[in-house]
Amino acid sequence: MEFLAKMMVMAVGAIFVQNFVLARFLGLCPYLGVSKKLDSAFGMGMAVIFVMTMASAITYLIQVYLLIPYGLGYLQTIAFILTIATLVQFVEMVIQKNSPSLYKSLGVFLPLITTNCAVLGVAILNTTAKWADGTPYNFLDAVLNGFFSGVGFTLVLVLMAGMRERLEYANLPKSMKGMPIALIVAGAMALAFLGFSGLKM
Amino acid sequence: MKYYIKLGLILLAVCALATGILAYLNSVTAPMIAEVKRVEAENARKEVMPDATDFVKKTMVDSSEVDTDLYFIAVNEAKEPIGYILTVALNGYSGVVKTVVGLKNDFSINKIKVIEQTETPGLGAKASTPAFAEKFVGMTLPQLMVKKDGGDIISITGATITTRTVTNSINAGIKRLEEVLKVEVTNG
Amino acid sequence: MDNMKVLTNGFIKENPVFILVLGMCPTLAVTSSVVNSLGMGLSTTFVLICSNIIVAMIKGFTPAKIRIPVFIVVIATFVTIVDMTMGAFMPALHKSLGLFIPLIVVNCVILGRAEAFASKNNVLSSTLDGISMGLGFTLALSLIGAIREVLGAGTLLGFAVLPKAYIESPMLVAILAPGAFITVGFLMAIINMMKKEK
Repeated sequence: MEFLAKMMVMAVGAIFVQNFVLARFLGLCPYLGVSKKLDSAFGMGMAVIFVMTMASAITYLIQVYLLIPYGLGYLQTIAFILTIATLVQFVEMVIQKNSPSLYKSLGVFLPLITTNCAVLGVAILNTTAKWADGTPYNFLDAVLNGFFSGVGFTLVLVLMAGMRERLEYANLPKSMKGMPIALIVAGAMALAFLGFSGLKM
Repeated sequence: MKYYIKLGLILLAVCALATGILAYLNSVTAPMIAEVKRVEAENARKEVMPDATDFVKKTMVDSSEVDTDLYFIAVNEAKEPIGYILTVALNGYSGVVKTVVGLKNDFSINKIKVIEQTETPGLGAKASTPAFAEKFVGMTLPQLMVKKDGGDIISITGATITTRTVTNSINAGIKRLEEVLKVEVTNG
Repeated sequence: MDNMKVLTNGFIKENPVFILVLGMCPTLAVTSSVVNSLGMGLSTTFVLICSNIIVAMIKGFTPAKIRIPVFIVVIATFVTIVDMTMGAFMPALHKSLGLFIPLIVVNCVILGRAEAFASKNNVLSSTLDGISMGLGFTLALSLIGAIREVLGAGTLLGFAVLPKAYIESPMLVAILAPGAFITVGFLMAIINMMKKEK
């Protein structure tokens, strides 16, 4: 029961209160780049959830069993980014071999994820994140945090794509079309998500 | 196959070179970063206890080096204890708020300083300003609650939660210190 | 390639933020004040110049297959160097930029320029490209930072520029997250408008 409650706190925190895109400003490139069509946004979101969960697990193990015991904390950035790049390649290969249909829908997004700062962001945040009582995240917490952060990313990405599909038909001044109006809509969305901050469980 | 081994070796060489450079740089900067942190902590202590000339480090929990478990006895030139320094932390509106508290011998507040916070800019973030620290000067334990909870601390407009966080963290910190000192007196 | 052209490209014509729409995360995240913008912009510029130089130097003997991982290691090394030196010499700035320093690694501007420019050009023009793109990035960030700081806090570089009454109750939203999106959105629209008039 206690575990479930903890999980709820983390889920609401990662998805709404500290949303990766709107509150932490991570993963903005895909958020603005892949949100023109609803189905590609959904595909990207799924790929990000998957990679973020996996990356959280592996980087956590690297941090705790390699970097800290050997006093190599300063290599964190290099170690994490290489791990993520390798992981993305590996996932791409596995999916390509075993599930061609899944590869067709996710494949194009996978290489983009290496430079998605949300993935590196969650990996670094997991190493410093703490619960309210000061205990650091354990392995399971880190993995769940990666998963829920990915869900939060997907949620706003899909919402944004839904709005942008409609914006295509809006009668806008020419210079506002495309990226400018997308950013302003994102601003309005961030304003709405600001209402979640300070939510206490 | 041979080609892939060659690729692997090149990559390995690049990584080894990078690691070597960083290891050297780390050995130079790590002590400097530690020194910066030490000076920062020292300055915070001096700021909340300007009359003290030296601080004696003590710990509330055996062999813990976590800063919220430590306290310092402030001593003046004559080596007489003039008060205590505490570091307290609690979750505020959007993250941990950490405060250094200077206490006189009678546990009334000499001065406080919020050293770490990620509160909303323009609202809760005002907790870092001297005007906010001013509210706490001279307060004692029974007064240490926000007005809404029946104490004497007037909240920052639009940031009751942040004010309450700082107030309650100090309140709990003083109570904890009193407990620890009581135990030490009975033991000693 | 005309070197002079390379040097001026990044400022307006191919500005990494407003035209190429690269590196949006730091652009939106750290621009709540001019000081943070400058710090972020200059750190990125440093990494960009250094990585461009090294990439242009080693492009001859890096097999195409492991090009990207090698570039990433080079970039990550310089980012860690910035992280360490800033921690030692500018602790306050280091604290306020926080997580976004290690994240310079995944700033698409840097890998983008390494891949699109430095891996195809010589050392000199790659250096110039790094300077140009980096300063263009810094310029864009500072502009956004200036607008947000004036509107959201009534100050510029920490000095009061608007009346005291405004500073006491400023348009807070400008330094909060939504203000970042809206400011950049309007700036892009203005630039689009200017481009059309030409």
